[in-house]
Amino acid sequence: MRTGRLVGRGACAATLLLAAGALLVSALPVEAQQAAREATYRTFPVLGSRLAVWAVAQLHLNFAAFILGVPIFAVIIEIIGWRTGDARYDWLSHEFVKLTFAAFSTTALLGALLLFLFVGYYPKFWTYMTSIFFPTYWVYALLFFAETFTVYLWYYGWDWLSGSRKWIHVGLGVLSNLFGTAILVVANSWVTFMMSPAGIDESGALKGGVWAAINNYTWMPINIHRLIANIVFGGTIAGAYAAFRFLAAKTDEERARYDWMGYVGNFVALSAFIVLPFAGYWLGREIYAFNQTMGITMMGGFMSWLWIIQAILIGILFLGSNYYLWLGMERIPGAERYRKYVPPMLIVLTIGFMVWATPRSMVVTLDEARAMGGTHHPLLGFFGVMSAKNTVVNLMILTTFLSYILYRRANRVSTRPWVKTGMAVQWAAFAVAALIVVFYGVYGYFVESIVRIGFSVYQVLAVLGAIAVVMAIDVPMFKGARSTGAIRWGTIAPRSQYVLILLAVTFTWLMGLMGFARSGIRQHWHVYGVLRDTSVDAVTPALGYAANVITIVTLVFFALVMFIFWIGGLGEKGKEGAAHAHPAPVLAGGSDRDA
Amino acid sequence: MRLPVGAKVGVFAVAVMSGYAWFANSIPQIESKPPQELSLEGGNVTPAQLVKAGEEIYHTKGTCEICHRIGQKGTRAPDLAGVGARAAKTKPGMTARAYLLESLIQPQAFVVEGYPPIMPAVDKPPIALNRSEVWALIAFLESQGGTVEVTLNDVPATVGAAAGGGGTAAAAEVKLPGDAKSGEQVFQGKGGCIACHKAGKIGASPVGPDLSQISKIQTPDYIMKKILDPKGMGTVANFPPGVMPQTFGQTLTAKEYTDLVAFLLTLK
Repeated sequence: MRTGRLVGRGACAATLLLAAGALLVSALPVEAQQAAREATYRTFPVLGSRLAVWAVAQLHLNFAAFILGVPIFAVIIEIIGWRTGDARYDWLSHEFVKLTFAAFSTTALLGALLLFLFVGYYPKFWTYMTSIFFPTYWVYALLFFAETFTVYLWYYGWDWLSGSRKWIHVGLGVLSNLFGTAILVVANSWVTFMMSPAGIDESGALKGGVWAAINNYTWMPINIHRLIANIVFGGTIAGAYAAFRFLAAKTDEERARYDWMGYVGNFVALSAFIVLPFAGYWLGREIYAFNQTMGITMMGGFMSWLWIIQAILIGILFLGSNYYLWLGMERIPGAERYRKYVPPMLIVLTIGFMVWATPRSMVVTLDEARAMGGTHHPLLGFFGVMSAKNTVVNLMILTTFLSYILYRRANRVSTRPWVKTGMAVQWAAFAVAALIVVFYGVYGYFVESIVRIGFSVYQVLAVLGAIAVVMAIDVPMFKGARSTGAIRWGTIAPRSQYVLILLAVTFTWLMGLMGFARSGIRQHWHVYGVLRDTSVDAVTPALGYAANVITIVTLVFFALVMFIFWIGGLGEKGKEGAAHAHPAPVLAGGSDRDA
Repeated sequence: MRLPVGAKVGVFAVAVMSGYAWFANSIPQIESKPPQELSLEGGNVTPAQLVKAGEEIYHTKGTCEICHRIGQKGTRAPDLAGVGARAAKTKPGMTARAYLLESLIQPQAFVVEGYPPIMPAVDKPPIALNRSEVWALIAFLESQGGTVEVTLNDVPATVGAAAGGGGTAAAAEVKLPGDAKSGEQVFQGKGGCIACHKAGKIGASPVGPDLSQISKIQTPDYIMKKILDPKGMGTVANFPPGVMPQTFGQTLTAKEYTDLVAFLLTLK
């Protein structure tokens, strides 16, 4: 009954939101054309139009990434719980979707606000985009409609569609992910067209169908990159939420529960994060393929220092994720065996971090340049090029994967007779991959850039191959393994929870920075090479200014997230002690300290 | 007193982000400014002035330095030291200036051996140099070991025609309500423009720049602003500053002003 009322309320709210959205979409071309007759630009009070659009776009993207990323792994966790019959996973999946659900309407409202800003303050730009993409607006609206109702049914039908009807519920989860991904790829077509326009003639008008404009150079790479990044982002935010609940927990059971949730969040983030750089390479390659000048401006022009900041952030993410795993091993009986691997792994990660963060050329005084023999340092300058950076990031990925493998087997001893051979093949796979990565890294110094870019593919394949081989052996090798003791959930050091928060904050900030990079490489163009930005904001700001904006917007994002989660948590307060459809699981180790 | 968890986490998050922002503010701060249009047409430019203007374009709007160096071999593009002398011998029967022009506006016609075919046409967006700028750039390249011989006539009038990058929006902007024929009357009559400017067959004085192709090399926005605020819009290279009256905004009626702009936009 209660569920029915909630469904009714939710559906009513969704209908209102969608009706407003549909009205807006249908009115947009008219509004935009009317506005276009009046002005090219208008000025947003106090902040200026660019800053207003920047802030709202970044916030919208943060929320959108969260609500699109979390359901992907929530449904996977639900499927695990369904197939294994383990209620913990069902609880966790419900918990994740609850977080998504709370952020859903905020995402839609920010999206609507962004549209208002474009129509009102950039009318000519919006008219132009509408002239190309109008048919996709309807697709977007319909998908949003479908997504909203599917997610509502998924969330509110959790109890209703349980037991023998669970497959229907899982199907709704899968469907909502498909709709969500489709929404993402439609919106990406607009954004990527601005970067790498296609399907238009010299005057900027659409030549044939809209598909040619959608299927531009950077569309598919960004689809893949964003999809993976959304999972990482969702994982880190869910991990940070769990960390917050862990730190605020009053009982050992609660601590154990949120320790586990934090671990799963980090595991999800880390698993997706490992493949993210590969998607990034592909995107970079397509940018070069579209326009060499744009690619070179991005990597070697005024934006070159941005990649140093990116390297530092990614280095922190790698170090943080590994550190969290190492701290987590302290609560696993039997993990002491693997402590000796931590120092060498830390050395590889640290050296990798330092190499990746080494700039190619530095802004120096004339005297310093004379002393150094140029703007490139005679020794360190060699580490500033892509060959070195590709090499170390692949080695860092391999090291992180090794950390995970050690964590995975921390409390398990294989009983297979072929364990020695299996281990030897695994170590050989690591060694061969590392050798291939280093070989192509060194060879890359002796060939031209277009060939060098191709080498990154071999390096990536070597790492992915090693991961596949090691996992293919690891899974059967540790099936039915002897346990050295249960994981003592909840006993992890509290500083580990700050690591989870660090990862969430860093990744969110990094998303803001990458958004600036993607938008900034267009420089003084709304649509690169087609529609020039003639506004007072046509200057692409320096990194310091961008960092300040990103920081403020990220702070606002976290403040909003905390507020939304707090509101979401209000519903739980009255239910404590009462019979609840989704009782929190009691995890092994949660009461160890009391025992 | 124990701090609430929310406060501790909040302070931690702010400290982390402040650290990132501090670092980003401590490294070199480089803005990317939209390039300025250069107009040299109709002016008496000396070769030295032309080379200087070309050098500026080489370093800035042309974005040449992304791939090229002078006196330093690169993997992306040839070293331009001595290109002025080399250019005359690269393609048989082609002068240095003709070869340089071809390499700038049709770069794929001849690619120096050992380098990838990545050079974009500089008169097309996104670099979008106008005719004057291509002229100056060729002069600068000729000066690298050769003699500056290029004239404006060596650069076809079509060069830079697609440089506007206004797309559909720009095309819409050109449709002003003014009447070009009436604007021509203003140009010759009340406006007194022919006293200083040439516009096709009318006017002849060399006091101000030749406006015969003004709508090809300048945006409508620039033309409109230049009439109302000539001082604020700057003076074209090699012409005396402060000559053009600041009073057209008061002396011309709104109709005369839009007619004049409409006329100037027909000058291609």
